[in-house]
Amino acid sequence: MNVEQILEKLKESLGDALLSYEIKEYTMGVKRKRTLYEIWAEIDKSAFRKAVETIFDIDYPHLHFITGEDTGGDAIKMIYSFGVYHGRPWGEISITLKFDLPKSELVLPTITDLMIGAETNEREIREMLGVEFEGLKNKRHLFLPDDWPEGKYPWRRDEYGVDDMVKHMHKSVKELRKKGERNA
Amino acid sequence: MPKTAYYIPIGPIHPALKEPIRVEAEVEGEKIVKVDVKRGFAHRGIEYMGMKRNAIQTLYLSERICGICSISHPYAFVITAEKALGIEAPPRAQYIRPIIAELERIHSHLLWLGVIAHEMGFDSLLFWIWKGREKVLDLLELLTGNRINYSVFMIGGVRRDLKESHIKALKDMITYYWEFTEKMKEIILSDPVYKARTRGVAQLSKELALKLNVVGPTARAAGLRMDIRQDMPYDAYADIDVRAVVPQDIVGEARGDAYDITMVRIYEIEQSLDIIEYCVDNLPEGKILAIPNYVALLAKIRRTKGEAIGAHEAPRGEVVHYLKFDGRDGPSVWKVIAPSYNNINSWAPLLLGAEVADIPIVVAYIDPCMCCNDRVALLKTPEGKVLGYEYIHRKAVEKTKRIEREVRK
Repeated sequence: MNVEQILEKLKESLGDALLSYEIKEYTMGVKRKRTLYEIWAEIDKSAFRKAVETIFDIDYPHLHFITGEDTGGDAIKMIYSFGVYHGRPWGEISITLKFDLPKSELVLPTITDLMIGAETNEREIREMLGVEFEGLKNKRHLFLPDDWPEGKYPWRRDEYGVDDMVKHMHKSVKELRKKGERNA
Repeated sequence: MPKTAYYIPIGPIHPALKEPIRVEAEVEGEKIVKVDVKRGFAHRGIEYMGMKRNAIQTLYLSERICGICSISHPYAFVITAEKALGIEAPPRAQYIRPIIAELERIHSHLLWLGVIAHEMGFDSLLFWIWKGREKVLDLLELLTGNRINYSVFMIGGVRRDLKESHIKALKDMITYYWEFTEKMKEIILSDPVYKARTRGVAQLSKELALKLNVVGPTARAAGLRMDIRQDMPYDAYADIDVRAVVPQDIVGEARGDAYDITMVRIYEIEQSLDIIEYCVDNLPEGKILAIPNYVALLAKIRRTKGEAIGAHEAPRGEVVHYLKFDGRDGPSVWKVIAPSYNNINSWAPLLLGAEVADIPIVVAYIDPCMCCNDRVALLKTPEGKVLGYEYIHRKAVEKTKRIEREVRK
């Protein structure tokens, strides 16, 4: 499947839940310039599991990462990055799924049943952002200590974040020095 | 007599581990029946620090993520930033970058080969390999000024050009390492004791490797043809047509054990020599930075709104970075995935059913890097005087100049 066909398959499978999409092209090389493709798709949260299953249908993917961004509002922007057709020269196509997860319902289905290796990523997101993964068996902390206070998430920029972090988030070093807050 | 289960805690600080991590194993006799891996002892929140600095400061901060692959993170960072900002590095810089990156692969693989020999008790092999590794470290110092944390990459190019004397030194190094790898094949791969100690140990199947999401030599030893330089090429790699080194191409089959991973790493050193030779022979002329003025570069970053994902094939596996710029001179989101993040997943399945004596081999097998140590060195003279930054810097400059003089001879 080429990049257009992958996009068609996603459109077909997700329907209206595929809110927006973009094919990004990057030209690489000096003497032999060729193009690499990436699909960036904004989807509805409800269609997340279906979107992942569609990607697994296309090719068993490689999970680049799962991350999330607390933009400070009522939702957390989740980002899942997969690579399909790895192992083929110039053939890997990266598919990035983005969706808003409302803070009132921070629950997502796990993908560890499809890929065991996703456990590390999900455990990190769980402890850093407070997103619950339904079906995740190992819910222990990954990076944070076992006695980390409950309800505090280092990547959050609201009242659930770490106080000191919330205070300094989005400030540059210059701004901090201006205010004399040296130990930021 | 019934067997009794014993609990063996290894780490976070242990002579068999180079960095802090904890492996808790339950054994019955010699067999491991239960295993648990705990990590997070060296988490420093570097991504968070990067989100408060400008992009150039963050680039050099990314180098501090790992001391051994200290070019891999900046490489992934510059690729990602260039994708997000729409900057193309000049052709000469696109050829210099892989040279540095491949030199680092050689030194990292040699380091691993020494470590695995040490874990098995072959210390004379460790000393011989590490003695051979000095040549590439000296060369990295000659090209960049540092043995570690080279600070040579920049968004849109590199900061140091290659001189004629450097090219001569690179060619000498290529000849030296071709001979060295031949000897390594003879000493390591043909050695019956090494074979007996590694064949069938830490065996990872192709299917399990795929499901565990492992990367780099760990995945390639299991037979997966995964290599970012091949799958999503960038810079000069795109001109070279790099192919993933897999055991099935060398000996006809991939067993995914510690012997196969040793073989993959030795053959990857040869591949790196080929890449360096190609880059040196085809080095284009011209400038080395797309935007030489850093103030102009930061201004461009401030004007840009966008995001990108970029990856580089580090010696241990792929390094993936995600960057988002939205009106500041630094990233508003920065996510880093290092190879060990995924590769440590393979420890638990590999250790289950293995023998106690194999624990160091399984642990060292993936070349683990626990987010890499904080590198702080306080040096004292015999009189007890603490040596300051200026003194250490002056000494480093003197040493680099000495190597330069030696190369010119």
